[in-house]
Amino acid sequence: LPLSGRRSRLALAIVAGSALLFAALWGRHAIVHAQSVAQNQLTVYSPQTSYSVPLLDVNGQPYAGLVELLEPLGSVDARADGKKYKLHFTPPGGRPLELQFTEGKNKGKVRGNGYKLPANFVVQNGRGYVPLSVTSDLIAKLLATDTELHPAPRLHKDNPSRLLLGFSSPVNPSIATEPGRVRLTFRHEPIVSSVGENVPYSDPLITGVTFSEHDGLAELDVTGTAPMMANFADGGRTIIITGAPAPAPVAQAAPAPLPPAPANTQNPAPQPRQPATPRFLVLIDPAHGGSDIGAAITPSLPEKDVVLALARRVQHELANRGIAASLLRNSDVAITLDQRATSANAARPALYIALHAANTGQGVHVFTALLPAANLSPQGFLPWDTAQAAYLELSGSVAGSVAAELESRKLPNTTLLAPLRPMNNIAAPAIAVEIAPPAGTVDEIASAAYQDQVAQSIAAGITAVRAKLPEVRP
Amino acid sequence: MNRRVLVMFAVLAIIALGLAFYALHLKRKVARDEQLAAQQLALAPPANGPPTPVTLYVASDSDGTLRRTQVNVTLPPERTERDRAVLRALLGQYLQSSSPHPIGAGADVRDVYLLGDDTAIVDTNAAFADAHPSGVLAEELTVASMVVTLNANDTKIGRVKILVNGQERETLAGHADLRRFYEASNIGQVVKDLQ
Repeated sequence: LPLSGRRSRLALAIVAGSALLFAALWGRHAIVHAQSVAQNQLTVYSPQTSYSVPLLDVNGQPYAGLVELLEPLGSVDARADGKKYKLHFTPPGGRPLELQFTEGKNKGKVRGNGYKLPANFVVQNGRGYVPLSVTSDLIAKLLATDTELHPAPRLHKDNPSRLLLGFSSPVNPSIATEPGRVRLTFRHEPIVSSVGENVPYSDPLITGVTFSEHDGLAELDVTGTAPMMANFADGGRTIIITGAPAPAPVAQAAPAPLPPAPANTQNPAPQPRQPATPRFLVLIDPAHGGSDIGAAITPSLPEKDVVLALARRVQHELANRGIAASLLRNSDVAITLDQRATSANAARPALYIALHAANTGQGVHVFTALLPAANLSPQGFLPWDTAQAAYLELSGSVAGSVAAELESRKLPNTTLLAPLRPMNNIAAPAIAVEIAPPAGTVDEIASAAYQDQVAQSIAAGITAVRAKLPEVRP
Repeated sequence: MNRRVLVMFAVLAIIALGLAFYALHLKRKVARDEQLAAQQLALAPPANGPPTPVTLYVASDSDGTLRRTQVNVTLPPERTERDRAVLRALLGQYLQSSSPHPIGAGADVRDVYLLGDDTAIVDTNAAFADAHPSGVLAEELTVASMVVTLNANDTKIGRVKILVNGQERETLAGHADLRRFYEASNIGQVVKDLQ
């Protein structure tokens, strides 16, 4: 319907008003990241600038100076009058906003509204200080913008030959390893060091950590005396640097007892080892973990638990045959598919096995990656999405050998290609094994007798083709 | 208040109570019908016209196989609508109560798009992935049956990608890779193994 003159003017006014409102909201949508540094400074990341603010320790609690905090984000006029403290902050292109606090009191005013601090306001040498925990909220209120406060990563050297890097939120750095060195590069996360630029350790394996930051690219460089590997834990909030697992001497390998689950470790603590020599390591990846339970085999039996138990049995059976094996996760932690592939490739195993379980079908399914074979050399750089293509022939040999062992134990089995992540990203021979219930009830999938038979088949199958699989120099 | 007024109030109260019960009944009926309609979405006939025989590769969980079968489906004239109707017929098989490869209730194909002549983008709904049984083989059977069924009925389609609610998803239900394009020729090799 054509609009009358009055109605069209009204519509135009509504459209113009909406556009102005949208423009105003858009302009305010600037994100400021504030990251606290554990020891003595706060680093603020904003679209316009990044800067650091020294922190004041008041009765063991970190405080930030209001002027230092706000000055880089606009103009500040602060004044202390006895115990009263007034600050006028003017954001670029905005109107002055007032903050009022009283020394020794936790109540004040921000933009005319009452504001309660978690601890008393502090004035020292005419400068006003607020608790660190309210800095992000204050910036958000003054700039009308989203603000986040991230505690700094914690470096924790908890036992010999293991370094824990803790982060306030999940991180996904690129990880490069070379003998005696692990380099973590953070491209997407604002990271600052809590411990300085260079931290030496007097440890037989880990000799130091160096932190550097340039143009927003943070890099942690861990140096050591032997090959090391990085593993993710706690949903990406923790990175554990350990020595790369040592090979088990084949001739002298004694049967190992079934390992109990360590409470808080992701991998069994490997021993630091002497100079890199080729070794044969099988890396076992029990799928899922943490909040990712995988398939619900029964309402009370998640896939993640079934495969972790099976992984320990496979490790035990391999050890009985003199083959070193390591678990990608040895507790109930969530690891993303990309993190699994990254950790697996960093460990440079001779063979990677992913373990799965399902409540549909019957018997054991052995998979290799569904990829077109490619004439790629494992020696050069491999494309991430099709890294496995260079190893398909060896992967197929292992799958065939494991299937033959399953057959010899009269376990129903199928060998198939599968589009299963992260197998395509693994730069080593790789198979996946999915166990379904044996003929009988679904609960039997977790029975020791069934799992032992499957684990023995896998271990025997690997042992049979071991000579074909090249040992890898870590 | 005389007796007549009291009787009138009693009659009105009974009528109000009856209407309230009737309204509650209607509300429940609408909810039930909506749920039923959502579950049977993939079973709805796609178009008018004579039924055409289409080839379906139907998965079976018990023996981990794909079986070739033919059903009659009324196909629309437009190519992408036809591809969608074929996939809905396949999902319809899986949604039946006696299905050898059950998938989540309400699973459906929202749309099929073509990139060039040989690449199909299949946009499924959230129920397709969210309620899909988790398992390497179970998920592979679903993906393989969709790709090979599409290729069997529209032979020009050589590559297939599956989206969920218009978005790329990492895996179907924790296992099968949904970030990649599936080559019908590769899947053909899998199907041979599964037959």
